[in-house]
Amino acid sequence: METLPAGVPLPAPETLHPALWRAHQLGRGREAAVPTGFAALDAELPGGGWPRRVLTELLLPHAGVGEMRLLAPALAAISTAAPPAPRSLMLFDPPSPPCAMALAPLGVDPQALIVVYGRDGAHGARHLLYSADLLWALEQALKSGQVGAVLAWLPARLRADALRRLQLAAQAHDGPVFLFRDIEVRMRPSPAPLRLALHSAGADGLGLQLLKRRGPVLARPLRLALPPVLAPLPRARAEAVQCLAQAMQGAAAAAAGAARHTVAALPG
Amino acid sequence: MLWIALHLPALSLESFAATLGAARQALPLALLQGTRIAAVNGVAAQLGVQPGFKRATALALAPQLRFGQADAARDAQALRAVAHAALAFTPLVTLDTSAGQPCVLLEVQGSLRYFGGLAALQRRLRAALLPLGFGCRMASASTALGAALLARWRTGFELGAQAQDRGRLGTLLDEVPVVLLGAGQTHHEALRAMGLHTLGDLRRLPRGGLARRFGEALLAELDRARGDAPDPREPVVPPPVFDEGCELFERADNSATLMHGAGLLLARLVAWARARQGRVGGFTLALHHEARHRGDDSVPERTELRLALAAASNDPAHLQLLLRERLARLALPAPTLALHLHCDELQHGAAPHGELFPTAASAQEGLLRLIERLQARLGPQQVLQPLPCEDHRPERSTHWQPVRPPGRTRAAAAAPAVLQPLTRPVWLLLQPQPLPERQSRPLLDGRPLQLLAGPERIESGWWDGAPAARDYFVAQAHDGALVWLYRARLPLAQQEGWFLHGRFG
Repeated sequence: METLPAGVPLPAPETLHPALWRAHQLGRGREAAVPTGFAALDAELPGGGWPRRVLTELLLPHAGVGEMRLLAPALAAISTAAPPAPRSLMLFDPPSPPCAMALAPLGVDPQALIVVYGRDGAHGARHLLYSADLLWALEQALKSGQVGAVLAWLPARLRADALRRLQLAAQAHDGPVFLFRDIEVRMRPSPAPLRLALHSAGADGLGLQLLKRRGPVLARPLRLALPPVLAPLPRARAEAVQCLAQAMQGAAAAAAGAARHTVAALPG
Repeated sequence: MLWIALHLPALSLESFAATLGAARQALPLALLQGTRIAAVNGVAAQLGVQPGFKRATALALAPQLRFGQADAARDAQALRAVAHAALAFTPLVTLDTSAGQPCVLLEVQGSLRYFGGLAALQRRLRAALLPLGFGCRMASASTALGAALLARWRTGFELGAQAQDRGRLGTLLDEVPVVLLGAGQTHHEALRAMGLHTLGDLRRLPRGGLARRFGEALLAELDRARGDAPDPREPVVPPPVFDEGCELFERADNSATLMHGAGLLLARLVAWARARQGRVGGFTLALHHEARHRGDDSVPERTELRLALAAASNDPAHLQLLLRERLARLALPAPTLALHLHCDELQHGAAPHGELFPTAASAQEGLLRLIERLQARLGPQQVLQPLPCEDHRPERSTHWQPVRPPGRTRAAAAAPAVLQPLTRPVWLLLQPQPLPERQSRPLLDGRPLQLLAGPERIESGWWDGAPAARDYFVAQAHDGALVWLYRARLPLAQQEGWFLHGRFG
């Protein structure tokens, strides 16, 4: 530093190397990210989209909060990309077989889907312990680098080194990797550089909290409007019902006391 | 004519040792023919064991010597595999087993230009023979028998003037020991007693006397070698079905030991497929089990392993990988003594192009290979792709089938209709989940569901035994997530009431 003349400003670190950024800035990947299709989310993600070659963890309370509609724009872009090749989407142990009729309206080409089940996991049934075969298959798919996007539903109990292995394997994979895990693992450490907690926020809405990203902490949750299932009229009704329920719940909780409150707040 | 002769000096020993692992090949090995030793490997030769010794003599010299039985059928099989590998370079390949020294002969005059000259062709030939695991000595000459004699004699005749020049070949052949001739071997003692050691010595004698004493065969062979007489040969034709076995030297009770033998058979399979100008679409590997364990009926005589490839391949590394995954999954009922590989699924057609940069085709192939590996380990029923069907019942509108290589169906598939409204949930439950109801409102997890849209009536399937008569609704769960549920309608439905059928993921 002493060699620099006094009047010359220091170069900004982010211009020196893609791996450098200041703590208040968002990190940038070396490669262009896959746009999420939601401007509000793109603005908060490092690189402006779903990162390639690293794991992205999505933590959900249960399947069906709108996670596929969140990913649909990115998956649609991958599965219907212009030549050289529309690339395939591989799903590992999804909660149930995805419905092709639901994916086509979202723009995802059902022909691009490949679903892989672990050998001992019954179709559709959730299992608590990880299946060695499934992790093997997942690692093979990531290492081959031939898959457009990988979506994997992992059990909650997973050895820490399994995720690290996947993170290493993902470096060969030119596309996003989404790992769906239960929300209960949010306090456990993970090698994934991007972690999001999803929860339902009313009909056709999705609440989203960035638990970890390359950049400053984002405390406020995001709310995204998903591709709608409902027509405008029923949606307005649903929102009204939701508001009413929340108000009633709040009043009831205030009246009933702390023990009762915990029960009401528990999902399910 | 330009002939290349491949002489395989240690064929019988190498075909025996090929099923052993690398560690076992470092042991002294010997092959027994009757009670005498027919061949020894390098380690045994260093210990002083030589072919022709009796078994007891050899054991006295090297107590750790391992014996195998010489087997003419096994040698013939190995020689055939070499011939198949050579067929990738020329259509005319013949075998020459005279003088007890097996040779494979290739006529390559027509292939020189394609492979870029004799030296380049020999380099490729060596590379092609490498996976089969035989050491070979090459020689080229303008006659078939001349090349075979030179290859049997010594090294150093891979390239040279004798390849084109018959005069030069004749000079060289004059130096060749007479024992290398087929007919020369039967009269070896007599010839040596007369002081005739080389072909040149024979040639200087009067032909009439030589023919009277040793028969016409000796002279005819001499003429064929020098190119003075025609030498018609029977070309090797690969059989239409590959069906070969190999005996394991030691009984194999795990898949790693099995892979030594299976790898050998796969290398021969690939050589055969290349000779037939095709690619392997699938094969069956049979494992023959030890008879001692067959006493009880629960142990089968053999276990068959069927491997079908999504896309036909000629890559030995890929086939080995698939087989290893399958073998790793297999629980062996008893130790295995022998392997048998059968293949009648050969796919012909244009070979896939090699690509320098990744293209759509190479990416597709890479994906197929990945899928094949997954299917080999997990089973084809665990790697599925959807096939949309025209059916109103949501559970029947997507049919799941094992992934196959993309044919015309993929190209013909209509572009996804983006404009359709989203009316179906992504996650469709396999079994509709019955919901309890309170005051005729369905409950999920003990909370009432708020019906938001519907009903959508689906009534179908009375003709195929799975009738559905349902009114579908979109409802909101207490946390705001949308679910899809239906009310089964009387009188068709067996069960009545509310059912959860999907979640809008």
